[in-house]
Amino acid sequence: MKSCDEIRKCLGAWVDGELGRDEADAVRSHVEACPACSEERRQLDRLNVSIKSVLAPQRPMAFEPFWRGVERRINEKNSWRDEWMDRLRGAFGRPNLAWSIPAVIGLALVLYSLRFWKEPTPRNNFAAVESIDAYGRNVALLRENETRTTVIWLYQNQEGDDETSGETSEQSPTF
Amino acid sequence: MELSDWELVQKCQLGEMGAFQELVSRYHQKVYIVVLGLLRNRDDAMEVAQETFFRAYRKIKSFEGGSSFYTWLYRIAVNIAIDTQRRQKRNLLDYRDNMDEVFEEQQEVAKDPFSDVHEKELREKLLSAINDLTPEHKAVIVLRTLEGLSYKDIGDILGCSEGTVMSRLHYARKKLQEKLRAYL
Amino acid sequence: MKLPGKLLSKALLSSFLALLVAVYLGAAETASQAVKIKIDTILASNQSGEFDSRLKPLEKQLKVLKYKSYRLLKEESQNVASQGNGSFQIPGGRTLIVSPQDFHDQQIALKVRLQGNEKPLLDTTLKLQNKGNFILGGPPHEGGVLVLAIWATLQ
Repeated sequence: MKSCDEIRKCLGAWVDGELGRDEADAVRSHVEACPACSEERRQLDRLNVSIKSVLAPQRPMAFEPFWRGVERRINEKNSWRDEWMDRLRGAFGRPNLAWSIPAVIGLALVLYSLRFWKEPTPRNNFAAVESIDAYGRNVALLRENETRTTVIWLYQNQEGDDETSGETSEQSPTF
Repeated sequence: MELSDWELVQKCQLGEMGAFQELVSRYHQKVYIVVLGLLRNRDDAMEVAQETFFRAYRKIKSFEGGSSFYTWLYRIAVNIAIDTQRRQKRNLLDYRDNMDEVFEEQQEVAKDPFSDVHEKELREKLLSAINDLTPEHKAVIVLRTLEGLSYKDIGDILGCSEGTVMSRLHYARKKLQEKLRAYL
Repeated sequence: MKLPGKLLSKALLSSFLALLVAVYLGAAETASQAVKIKIDTILASNQSGEFDSRLKPLEKQLKVLKYKSYRLLKEESQNVASQGNGSFQIPGGRTLIVSPQDFHDQQIALKVRLQGNEKPLLDTTLKLQNKGNFILGGPPHEGGVLVLAIWATLQ
């Protein structure tokens, strides 16, 4: 025999006519015999009537102006973006585990693999050097074809008066 | 002889605008009622209701008759309305203005059964309590109470099971009862 | 009952979208206002035969210079706004200033200045491929020379 708590959990469904016959009979018998649940049912009925009263508009809506609004939207040009949004909504409108799980897994794998994706140096890595000013020092510009490397090399002045720290280097690259 | 919804849909799919107009004529009031129940603002409800039919028109070729036309239509309407609710961040003042607007309309047009002060307070508190529900809970209340749809149809519209519809309705009604215990 | 075709089309669409997201994340062709400048400061010398393993990606390019050893001293990146200046400290009291100018046809225009303690040492303007690099070298340091590998990537 069901308790009042159990009955109240399905009271709404019973009032809505959504219970199977046996369950509905059990609820009805209980409600008829139980003053507390009977009061609960009365409140539920009152609530439903009140909700209907406050939510339902009193004035019927005229069709013609409404239809004109719909027609106006239809006649306005659709952008290609709207078409694509429709298709996307169609694909994703209803959650469907059958495809959403593999899609999410696939996406996660792709995004994870990006961590290991070394951004390669572009095929044409040559820099287009437009100007060089070495302030009187010797400078070399080298473009190496095999590795597609652009090198700008600043030679130390012969007097070794690079003003930085008095460092000197006897080494020059041999290109 | 009146054509069925499915027959009208098939004509729409062949490009007959007249058939679509007939479908709009049949369902515009119902869609508006549902959307107004969710949004509580006449202008927004009109916008969303018209947008519903516009999207239905664009998607009509994809309707295969797996569900009834009206549940398919309500699904579009409810989704747009829920999105609209989420997007709009109406402050309490705006909401109260809207409530008063709809409340006054209902007062002046029909014989108002809620004529005494107690009943008027019930209406105000009820509207406020309904508005405090989440969009999903509001949707089940509107679809069941205003439209009398079955749990199966509500589940089809909202994309959830009948069990979920039942538990959402139970929760929503319980919340409303708690807030309105003194008035019911 | 859903037809298999619908399931397949949804799966294909979702895979396509996943691919688009991956390409977008990898791609850099957007209207952007910042360039990521990365500088590897390398000491090249003939004093030993060591090749710093961290410089593996640059090995082929550095071998052009034909030094015997290469050691990574410092690696630094900055996002520099277009027309802004990115300033990088270089050993020996030097500063490298990189200023992205604009971006067009996958090429980033840069102004680069190597500044000594008191005077500029070198100014250059060049166009670099997006994600590309060039090498600027020559200033002496600790018995070898400094080699700067400079990358520019549109953000």
